[in-house]
Order: sequence, then structure tokens, then C-alpha cells
Amino acid sequence: MKTRTKFVIGGAVILAVIIALSVQGLQEMTVFFYTPQEVLASPSKFEDKTIRIGALVQKGSVEWNAKAIQLSFNITEDGNEFIPVLYDGVKPDLFREGQGVVVEGKMKGPRFEANQLLVKHSEEYTVETEHKKNKEDYYKSIQAQ
Amino acid sequence: MKKIILYLEWGSILGLICCGLWVFLKLPIETSQGFPQKIMYLHVPSVITTYLAFFVVFVYSIAYLWKRELMFDQIAKASAEVGLVFCALVLITGAIWGRTTWGTYWVWDARLTTTLLLFLIFMGYFLLRMSVNDRDKEARLASVLGIIGFLDIPIIHKSVEWWRTLHQPSTLFKVDSGEAKPSMPPELLYPLLASTLVMLAFYLYLLLLRYQTEKRTDRLNQLLAETQV
Repeated sequence: MKTRTKFVIGGAVILAVIIALSVQGLQEMTVFFYTPQEVLASPSKFEDKTIRIGALVQKGSVEWNAKAIQLSFNITEDGNEFIPVLYDGVKPDLFREGQGVVVEGKMKGPRFEANQLLVKHSEEYTVETEHKKNKEDYYKSIQAQ
Repeated sequence: MKKIILYLEWGSILGLICCGLWVFLKLPIETSQGFPQKIMYLHVPSVITTYLAFFVVFVYSIAYLWKRELMFDQIAKASAEVGLVFCALVLITGAIWGRTTWGTYWVWDARLTTTLLLFLIFMGYFLLRMSVNDRDKEARLASVLGIIGFLDIPIIHKSVEWWRTLHQPSTLFKVDSGEAKPSMPPELLYPLLASTLVMLAFYLYLLLLRYQTEKRTDRLNQLLAETQV
């Protein structure tokens, strides 16, 4: 009987966790991130709330301040409407212009102050034909950075 | 049976070694991700093996409820056990890959959350099995949970299309205007297919091994019950 009660309690705990995770997950998963258009369309709705925005890094907008360890760039979907982002932290390895990113933080006026910067990567995989094709070149290119 | 298991054992061990050497020594470096892309050759085969393992659970759970043959339940149990290990492998390799490319081990996006859910459901599956003393009742209840648990897999697979996620859409099962078009060059694709085949052979080996153990355990328990009477 005693082991049985243990299993019942254990099962109930796991079930509770599953339900809690699904509820939390379902709420967040449907809108894991907003688009810049959605945020710009109703600024009052998002003001001072922790949100995620997903978009592309606008070409020519990246400024990296190595001394202050601060990264600023614009995120956009179509190149017309964009949100300037300020991120205190290191530049991720795969961060580059035109790359998809998800930033987490708050809108402060017209600017988005991010405390997390996630880099999306494409489902397209490519191999450059000439250079970088073998390992030696790849390691050299890392060391050169 | 013994011979098949032995062949699968050595075949998959040799295959894993060969795939590892191929991936690390011969393959070109992927352009945008660089070296970390190689974890794909463990992550994606594990995903496909997890899908297959729980599909086997699904099929044999239905078969058990239909025919009430203990053998079907033993296969379902063995496959769920192996599937759970591969599911853990998916979560672990995914987290490591995510850290190097996305910049985080974990986010609560649809793909990752539903995959964790699958893992938890099948943890619950074994808890359920352990909590029931009657073998037939255990098989009956586990079959129902096995069928329900499998239904999470289509959701996992489609999650990247249904919701906005951090995880990118499918590379291997990419469909372009009705045609299957994996979005990677052949020199990266063929090793991936090879590692998947090897991983499936490894799964089959573990499945047969576990099934035999299950069969013997049940037979032993049966004999013990008879002698006690």
C-alpha cells in the first residue's frame, strides 16, 4: 500500500507539471515573438512589458561598441518599418546583417532595450565551393577574426 | 534471432564509427554555422529514431488492445524504453546545438515545449507501468497512454509551421510545390541519410535486445507465480 501511495503522489506531481507546462507553453508558443509591425501598430499595448520581437537585422544598421560591450541595430521585416534595438552584451557568433534574430526585452519609448539576443538560423545549409571547404581553412578563418 | 541481434550490434557499432569518421574528417564545413553544424548528424537521426520508436509503440499498443496478445505489449514497452533514451538524446543534442547557434540552451517555443512534453508523457508511461501490479491491467492502461502519447509527434513535427518558433523549419522533409526538396547540398545530405540508417539499425538492435529481456522477465514471473501456488 505504501509504495502505491508513493506512485500516486509521484504521478500526480508529474501530471501537474505536464499540465502547468502545457498551459504556460500554449500561451507562449502561439506568440513566441511579435513582429515589428505588430509592435509599432499598437505601442501602448507593449509599453513596459517584457516581450520578444522576431525580425531581420537591417543591413547597414549594426553598431558594435566594444568598450561598453553594447550592440545596437535595427530590426525590420520589409526594410521600411523598423525598430532600433539596444543590447547590452556580447555579439553572438552567428550575428550578422540580414540574419533573423529574436530579441527579448522592453520597449522604452521608440527604442527596444533587449536583455536577450537570440539568433535564428535558416533551414538552408550550404557549402562554399572554393575556400573554407576544408577544415584547415576554417580554423585559419576563425583565428584571423 | 540471436544471430540477427549480433549482426545488428556489430553493424551499428561499425556504422557509428564510420559515420563519425566521415562527418569529422571528410565533410566540408557548412558556410553559415561552421563546425557546430556537425551536431546535426547526431540530432536529426535521433529525432527520426524517436519518431519511429514511438510509432512502433503506437502500432503495437493498438495491436495489443485489439488482440490482447502479451507479445505486442512487450514490443511496445521495449520500443517506448528505447524511444525515451533517443528522445533524451534529441533534447540534449538540441540544447548544445542551440547554445552555439541561437545563443541559448532552452526556450519555451512550440517545437521545444512539445518535444519536452513527449519526453514527460513517456516518463509517465513507465511510472504508470510500475504502479500497476496486474500484468494484463498494466498492458491495457499502458497501451492507452502509448496511443495518446504518440499523438504528440505529428504536433511536434508540424509545430514549426503552425506557430512562430525559434526553431527553424524542417530541412530534410522540406516540400517545395509538392516535391520533396531537402534544402542542403548532397555532400552534407548523404552522410545525414547514412547516419540515420545506422541509428535505425542501432534502434532495432536495442529494441530486439529489450524485447527478449521483457519476454524472459514475463516468463520468469509466470513460472514463479505457478510454483508459489
